[in-house]
Order: sequence, then C-alpha cells, then structure tokens
Amino acid sequence: MEQVSNFFVESVCVLGAGSTKYGKLDDSISDIAIQASVDAIESAGIEPKEIKAGYISNVFGVADKQVHLGPVVMSNLGISERPSLSIESACGSGSVSFREAFANVAAGFYDAVLVTGVEKVTHTGTEWTTTYFSYCSDFFYEGQNGASFPGLFASMARAYLNEFNATEEDLASVAVKNHDNGLHNPKAHLRKKITIDDVMNSAVVASPLKLYDCCPFSDGASSLIVCNENFAKDHSKDYIKVIGSGRGGSPAALQGREHLTTIPSTKIAAADAYKMAGITSKDVDFAEVHDCFTVAEVVDTEDLGFFEKGKGAEAARQGETKLNGSISINPSGGLKSKGHPIGATGVGQIVEVFDQLTGKAGERTVTNAKIGLTQNFGATGASCAVHIFQSV
Amino acid sequence: MLFTSSKVCKLSAKSEFIVNAKAGNILARKCMTCGELHLATVYFCKKCGKKEFEDSIIEGKGKIVTYTIMTIPPAGFEEFVPYAWVVMELDGVTGIKISGFLPHIAKPEDLLIGTRAKIVGFDERGIILVKQ
Repeated sequence: MEQVSNFFVESVCVLGAGSTKYGKLDDSISDIAIQASVDAIESAGIEPKEIKAGYISNVFGVADKQVHLGPVVMSNLGISERPSLSIESACGSGSVSFREAFANVAAGFYDAVLVTGVEKVTHTGTEWTTTYFSYCSDFFYEGQNGASFPGLFASMARAYLNEFNATEEDLASVAVKNHDNGLHNPKAHLRKKITIDDVMNSAVVASPLKLYDCCPFSDGASSLIVCNENFAKDHSKDYIKVIGSGRGGSPAALQGREHLTTIPSTKIAAADAYKMAGITSKDVDFAEVHDCFTVAEVVDTEDLGFFEKGKGAEAARQGETKLNGSISINPSGGLKSKGHPIGATGVGQIVEVFDQLTGKAGERTVTNAKIGLTQNFGATGASCAVHIFQSV
Repeated sequence: MLFTSSKVCKLSAKSEFIVNAKAGNILARKCMTCGELHLATVYFCKKCGKKEFEDSIIEGKGKIVTYTIMTIPPAGFEEFVPYAWVVMELDGVTGIKISGFLPHIAKPEDLLIGTRAKIVGFDERGIILVKQ
C-alpha cells in the first residue's frame, strides 16, 4: 500500500465522474443531483451498494424546497442506510465536499464514497439570485451595504487595473478564451463564441465589470466516485490519483485584507497542495480555476504561481492561458462558459480533470497532460481548496 | 424588504458599532496586549490571539482605495441605483479599512481612487458615506 503522507493509510483516486448539463434546468434539485450521481456510478462501473458514504454539497437548496440533500440522494440510489454529509461553503462547497471525501478515504474510514455537488437557482430570477448570493459575503459589512458579488469582484478589478499594467480589454480576453473552450464542451451553459468587443459593449453590471465579465447563474449537478487505489484497480483502468489537497482561509470581508488584488486562501491552499504533491506550479499541465468573474481568473493564475503578481492579465492577453498555450487554464470553459451552479462547481472542475486525464475530453483535450489542478473558492475567496491530480 | 441585524447575541458589538457610525465614527477595538486595531465586531486579536480590548473611536474620514458602481443591485437597493459600494482606508490608522454605501455616483469619473470621503450615517443601506 502506497503512503501519500505520514498521516494517510490509503492513496486516494477518482474512479468515475458524471455531470448533468449546466444551464437552466427544469428538473428539481434532488432529481439533478441523483442524475449526476447515477452518471458517476455508471462511469466508475460500480454498484451503488459499493458506496460506503456520501458527501453532498449545495448552497441554496432552500430555494427549491430541499435541504438535507444527503439522505435524499442516498435513498434514491437504494442505499439509505449509508451515512451522508450535506456541505455548504458558498461557491467553494464542491471542493470542500471533495476534500472531506479525500480525507475519509485517505484515513481508511471508507474504501469508496460518492461526492455530488448540486445547485438549482435560476427559477428564482436574477434579482433574488443576486440577493441570495450576497448572503455569502460578510453580510454586515458587504451585502448589507448594497454589495452584490459582481460588485465585490468589480472592486477587486478596479484595484487590479489601478495597481498593474492591465486594461479592461485584458480582462475581456479571459472571457473570450473561456467561451472558445466551452464551445467544445457539450455540457457547458453558454456555448457561444464571443469577441473582445462583445464583452466591452455588454451592459455594465458593476463597473468595471460588464455582463460578459460575469459567469452566469446556472443550475446543474456534478458527481464523482472517490476510492482507495486497491478499489480503483479492482474496478477499472480509467482512474486518476489525487496527489495533493490543500485548504485555506482569508478575512471574510474584502476590507479585512491587506491587499485587494490577491486571495490569501488560494495561496495557503496551493502551498499545502503543492507540498503534499511534491511538485511546483511549473509541473502543472492544466488547471481548472475559479473564474466567477474575469478578474478572478487573472488573480487565481497569479496566486497559484503560474504567473508573477501583476502579470496575469498580460499572460491572458498574449494567449498563454489558451487551450494548449504555455498553461491551459479552464479547458472546460470555466465558470464563465461552462456555468456556475455554485454547489456543484468544485466537483465539476474535478469531473473535467478526470475527463482530461482519462482521454475523454474530445476537442478540448490538453495535449500530453499528466498533472491537472483545481482551485475553487467560496465568496470572494474567504475559503478555498486546491487539489492536484495525476494520471496513472 | 429591509435588512435588519440579529439582536439575539447580547455580546455583539454591532449595535454599538451602528450607534457610532450614525455619529460619523468607527468603533474599533485596540488589543491591550499588542496594540493591534480591529473593527469592534471581532472577539479575539488576529495578531496575538488575546481577547482583552479597549474601545477606540476613530473619526470616519479617509480615502477610497477601491469601489464599484452598482447598476444591477440586490433586493432593497433598486431605488438607489446607480450607487457606489466603496472600501475606504481611515485617516491616521493602519490595519483597518471599512466599506460602505456612497449614493449618487453614476460614472467612474465621479469617484476616482484616492477620493476623500467621510461617514455621515448608518441606515438600512449600512454605513453611508459622502465625498469630503
């Protein structure tokens, strides 16, 4: 048995992955969670009875009249006796859920578990979705003062544009690139080629961010089967290894941070994940990062160590982050094009890494990729998880 | 709809913080062990971890370090659009910034980074600021 660290008894793998389409979905929150779970179970080639526990992430279940989703998912998979954990960590819920699964499998509590993330919000309309999301901020200081999430990231964007040699067009290039990638993703919410002009001419949501700088509100679910390596070997050749896992925190409100152009929790999570994996940012072939807004992807690529501080916008402008550029960022289309069902997003990023590293990514394949990274944060990065995966 | 604060926790400094903001000030807490300043809503010092503080009332004046102009607002703010949500550095102190609502800002030229502003109240829109 291989030891991934002194603390772990098991090496952890992802054996199967599935997702619904992201977008405006008609089915209920529990239905889409179950559909994604069934996809993951079939992808792994296992029976539901082999799943020993469930980790179900979701934020606004209350908006579709279903919280405590864990037992609902498990019951409909015919395994109501299995324990489950329903997890909320704002937009970072999915990766936190995955981390709990990772930790439990690594510690030897379970040999195989289900991780499902889900969100269903579009039926509440733009104003109420905006309002619900503002509850993820440090509400006394942010949401209560009229800040929406586009507003909070717009404040980071203005600070970034003021501090570094970057333009609104540079930020727009992130959206253009992610839409290019999303065109090749059949499950993406916004499959539409756009130009820099389209972004620049779209309606201002919270200046300097315009509509096309923002990811959409999406419904959707993603699911994974996470297991130890013996279990994976017994079931399939198509699995990937988890080689790094890190989490971090930041002051909940932007005002509490020394710098407004970096996300401390990402740096902490990345440092832990790189250390566990025994690699540096240079060893990463591609990354799925949290691009809820164009500026976020720029900041993420710097905080993860792919580019120097202040150089991320220039790198995006020069095409370094395109599919098969110097580092492919968000080959799935990212939150911007693939969509952002917030409870599912962190799980969906890992579905993309699984598809990439097992040869299922079709036209958006990152050539010769061996190591993929995911970074998923909650709110303005008040919480973050980074995971690193390797093909076998 | 109106946003109201929870009044369940009697230990919370939020109501006191609001009283001070209404008078144009920020209620801060200074760590009696290491001197680090925090907004009054904190319970333990972020630097040394101790919980003994003394109140420090800071004049609510400073300069804007970043902001956004909101055109698609959350519920309750529809009638105030467009407005700015700003982060402000307070004069004469290091280590704390505050954020607030600054009405009647329609375009970036109306509010450059570095603009001086001050707190003039606190209502259902939170801390209210105006340009100095």
